[in-house]
Amino acid sequence: MIQTQHLTKKFGRFTAVDKLNLYVPEGTVFGLVGENGAGKTTTLSMLATLSTPTSGKAVINGYDVVRHPSDVRRSIGFMPDSFGVYDDLSVDEYLEFYADCYAVPRAVMQKRRQDLLERVQLVDKRHTYVNALSRGMQQRLEIARCLMHNPPVLILDEPASGLDPRSRIELRSVLKELKALKKTVVISSHILYELAEFADEIGILRRGQIAAVASVSVMLQHSSSQRTLWIATKSSQHVLEQALRDVPEVSSVTYFPEGVEVIYQGTLEEQSELLLKLLRRGVRVSQFAERPTDIEALFLRLTSEREEGGSA
Amino acid sequence: MKNPILLKEFRQRMRTSRAPIVVTGYVASMGILTFFLLYENVQGQLYLFQPARSQQVFTILSLIQMIIVAFLTPAFSAGTISGERERRTLAVLLTTPLSPFSILFGKIIASSALQYLLLLASLPLYSLVFLFGGAVPQEVLAVLVFQLFTIFIIATISVMWSTVALRSGWSTVLSYATVSFMIFITGSIGLGLQSLASNPVDADVARYGQFFLSLNPLWIEAELENAVHSGNAEWVLFVIFYFAVACCLLPFCIWRLRPQWLWRIPGLTRVNERNYQ
Repeated sequence: MIQTQHLTKKFGRFTAVDKLNLYVPEGTVFGLVGENGAGKTTTLSMLATLSTPTSGKAVINGYDVVRHPSDVRRSIGFMPDSFGVYDDLSVDEYLEFYADCYAVPRAVMQKRRQDLLERVQLVDKRHTYVNALSRGMQQRLEIARCLMHNPPVLILDEPASGLDPRSRIELRSVLKELKALKKTVVISSHILYELAEFADEIGILRRGQIAAVASVSVMLQHSSSQRTLWIATKSSQHVLEQALRDVPEVSSVTYFPEGVEVIYQGTLEEQSELLLKLLRRGVRVSQFAERPTDIEALFLRLTSEREEGGSA
Repeated sequence: MKNPILLKEFRQRMRTSRAPIVVTGYVASMGILTFFLLYENVQGQLYLFQPARSQQVFTILSLIQMIIVAFLTPAFSAGTISGERERRTLAVLLTTPLSPFSILFGKIIASSALQYLLLLASLPLYSLVFLFGGAVPQEVLAVLVFQLFTIFIIATISVMWSTVALRSGWSTVLSYATVSFMIFITGSIGLGLQSLASNPVDADVARYGQFFLSLNPLWIEAELENAVHSGNAEWVLFVIFYFAVACCLLPFCIWRLRPQWLWRIPGLTRVNERNYQ
């Protein structure tokens, strides 16, 4: 559905995107993660036909972004990282305007607008001027706007940027809805854990190049050999301490009044062995759970490992 | 054909209080001026009906109207595209399949619509001049059509400057420079060359002078009102010249709005430039 081959964008001597090769299959939610200046926005701008590649090729829904930009535009819904809204237009009129831009028939537009406003929870705001909406509501409205012409591909550039925590949660629920619509989505963020919830695959962009691509589950469960476990027991701290001391895979233990946090170097199978060992040593385990991996730390480790490998 | 930009702009521009205030203020001011001129016209005169003097009132009124709308037009047009860029709405607009012609046309008509409305709203004032004779309906119609065209061409050039320039400040400066060229520069150079050519008579210099005057909307309007006589249909040159100026600016606008259209031309595709949006 989306494919780039050696996609390059240069600004004078500076190379913002460097021979980027990317493949996003149909129906996949692909998260593009990278630090500020990694080339995320430039990549998405090229995919959205807003800027022209210096070299290389990008194809969306079978159309080349340079040779068939009009077809690409009909195939995508694009939400830029920083956007404004028109003054003196109501929510209804705002969506109607963009539907007209794509020549969506009036009857289809009215039905779709109603459906989308329900999805983004803005039905009660349909007669409110868009400039009077909160930033979070405007972000949700933009997602509805992207879907007004029912494109197969969505390109969302940092949709959660500048939002307060509550708006982020609301936006996240709307983004999860997108997954149900079976759209192909490319979504960028510099916050990895935000994408981990709904992305199928994540690509880490570094200095204009893809440093790593992996499915989220693989990244979280297999790429990481380090796990954070939460163990609560009804035994004394001394018994637990004795039991954990004999396990070589345990690298660090932090004691809390309610339990302990254990850093464990091992696979999922080895992790179950740990539980067995504890039970055999008489530890009365009441809670044994893997805590979500600090995905940010994983990201940093992955990218630094590659950097060290590259410089070595 | 339906132009979504036009519909949206009309909604935005006409629903605020600004539009009716501008129209009311303009018609009231022109009305006061008309009554003042008509009053001055008949003051101390033996007869109320003096067609020659009434013709002068019509000429003065229409020239003042031309100057007002000519300087008003850039105020509404010069920030149309650059303003979208500054308000960060342009990027989304450019990801829609609208053609640059559709975007520019919508912006031009929408930004000049208020001036068209001003002209039409002030038409009843001319009927007062008719009461006293002098101007004939054909003249009024010719002047009206010419004024509408002049507004259209100023709006076109202003919107194009707004597309080419990155900031509204720059596009406003360029648009007012264009209007100043049309009204002051061409008039000064044209009249200056004409006076130089009259003594001794120099046909070449006179022709150059006439050329510059042909580019001046006030001169053309005065000619349409038979207030000045050159013997040629100079409005044709006026129309061709400014149409050519707009055509010259058009590729730059496309270069800004849809660089992919120029991908076959090396060096024109803005590949090394930062995002316009």
